[in-house]
Amino acid sequence: MHRVACWIFVFLCAGQSLLCGQDFKVLDRDVQIHGFASQGFVHTSDNNWLTMYTSHFGSGEFTEFGANASMQVTDQLRIGAQIYDRNLGGIGTWHPALDWAYAQYKWKPWLGIRAGRVKTVLGLYNDTQDLDFLHTFALLPQSLYPIDIRDTSIAHDGGDIFGSIPLGAKRGTLSYTAWAGNRDYSQYGGVAYLIRADGLNFNSVGGLQYGADLRWTTPLKGLLLGISRMNVDNTLNYSITEPGIGTLLLRSNDNSDWTNQYYGQYTWGKLLVDVEYRRSWDDAGQTGLSRFQEDSRGWYLAGSYQILKRVRVGSYYSHYFINFPLGGVEPAGTGHDYDKVVSGRVDINRYVNIKIEGHFMDGYGLPGATPNGFYYVNNPQGLRPNTNALVVKGGFNF
Amino acid sequence: MRNATQHLRTLIAASLLMTPLAALAGSGTVRVIANPSVKADAISAAELKSVFLEETSSLRDGSHVEPVLARSGSVHESFIREYLGKTDSDLQTYYRTLVFTGRGSMPREVSSDSEIAAYVARTRGTIGYVSPETSTEGVKTLAILGMESDGNRRLITRVEPVYPRELQSKHIGGTVRLRITIAPNGSVESTELLGGNPILGESATAAVKRWVYAAGPARTKTEIVVPFDPSR
Repeated sequence: MHRVACWIFVFLCAGQSLLCGQDFKVLDRDVQIHGFASQGFVHTSDNNWLTMYTSHFGSGEFTEFGANASMQVTDQLRIGAQIYDRNLGGIGTWHPALDWAYAQYKWKPWLGIRAGRVKTVLGLYNDTQDLDFLHTFALLPQSLYPIDIRDTSIAHDGGDIFGSIPLGAKRGTLSYTAWAGNRDYSQYGGVAYLIRADGLNFNSVGGLQYGADLRWTTPLKGLLLGISRMNVDNTLNYSITEPGIGTLLLRSNDNSDWTNQYYGQYTWGKLLVDVEYRRSWDDAGQTGLSRFQEDSRGWYLAGSYQILKRVRVGSYYSHYFINFPLGGVEPAGTGHDYDKVVSGRVDINRYVNIKIEGHFMDGYGLPGATPNGFYYVNNPQGLRPNTNALVVKGGFNF
Repeated sequence: MRNATQHLRTLIAASLLMTPLAALAGSGTVRVIANPSVKADAISAAELKSVFLEETSSLRDGSHVEPVLARSGSVHESFIREYLGKTDSDLQTYYRTLVFTGRGSMPREVSSDSEIAAYVARTRGTIGYVSPETSTEGVKTLAILGMESDGNRRLITRVEPVYPRELQSKHIGGTVRLRITIAPNGSVESTELLGGNPILGESATAAVKRWVYAAGPARTKTEIVVPFDPSR
């Protein structure tokens, strides 16, 4: 980890010329190469957070990087791919993944398609949640964009149909994306981490997911409103190995799970205000044996303001609540995580930024039922009700 | 005594405005240029925005276009604020979102107006923006039509604005940019000052409100530029 942190430090200190996107030509077409990297440090007051051991001296096991290549083949056709790698405590652990790789064909501004591994459009930031340099905050509101389980919603293998339809000067513009495909959870994500922490073998989670996003750029300058829907039919394959007995294969099927998300964004000069609400319904288990339902709801209100040309400050309140009423596997109950956040971001130049952020959390979700930042395996002493966290993060992109 | 006080106030206001005047005048005088291979001689503001936000790469007449931008500068700031409705920081975030989700490319960026003009002159299909003082040899200047596609309604009656004597005597001039709403009967229903000296803006607004356009089927909006040349 220290070696990687040193390399990132070297990159951060490198000349600006290094940090410009690189172009070269293939068949007389420009190929663009871009990339990003970030390094974070997290210290918490009590509980260990995000699978890192953060509560004593803090942890720097918070590194991400990615790189992409893309080419505009014709006016309508573009192709590209991006790899992504991270190490977040026990998650990611330096196993690179194909983040996206697809071909996009755009007949008209109001009609285009994408096919391949495509980032999933869901709410304001699902498809950009791991692109730290695009956001004021070091961590997006965890009630909607939990960083430890990004792989459960980040991309799908399938396709999109998308477009933007101008409604006239008085009605704004309507943009749509409809998508369908298969999603495989990462072997190194939060869900796999939780299952392995319970002494089980994680084999796979995947299945059909489909949904749509509709967003309206209203005629009121700076105001965007939108709604997203995602339907899920996943299958979880896992196993238990008992010495002397062998391995017992188990399967859990989701049953028409869904997520609804509503959002709004308002930009006024240097002020940006976001508000989002998400409700997810999860019905999973083994038919005839045990089934359970999870009903989780999250919302946040975030605001940020550019106080200087290269300095932006922000704050948000993130509210997460999970109801687990029919506990056949885990103890039934409810959990919450209410997070008050203050943050500051300094852009050293166009390519390098540093963020410092304070989190003041009440609650820790329902760690036995679903991953949401806090895990029993990282907190064998038991979880305390409140956690304060300091997050410092630096990164660059080119 | 009252006239003397008013005169003094005008002079103080004019002198206070001298510093930002250059920027404001620049904001009203961005010139949009294109490589001669681009067939169009004019482009609507909406189409220009679509090109620079990479929503489209061809104009209505079929011309292929690619945007080229400056990295910084007052002309750059004015252009993206007035035509794209974004700050430089917002625009960078927008382009990086496209690039890192695979939906678009980072557009070509150069350091100065003269580099933009030179790049546009030698590269087919490119479209950029420069200050009016920049040499535009080898490129064509595109006229910007109204904010709406049907915004080019014919002007029937034009009333020239009154040039405030104090400003003219101090050789304070420039251009004023206004966004106006034209009623179906051709009268100017409302005006919005987009750029320029505020005192000249008041004078321009008073004159433009008396302009009359040809009647049309619906209310339309357009942007106009009113020049104030102190040497005339």
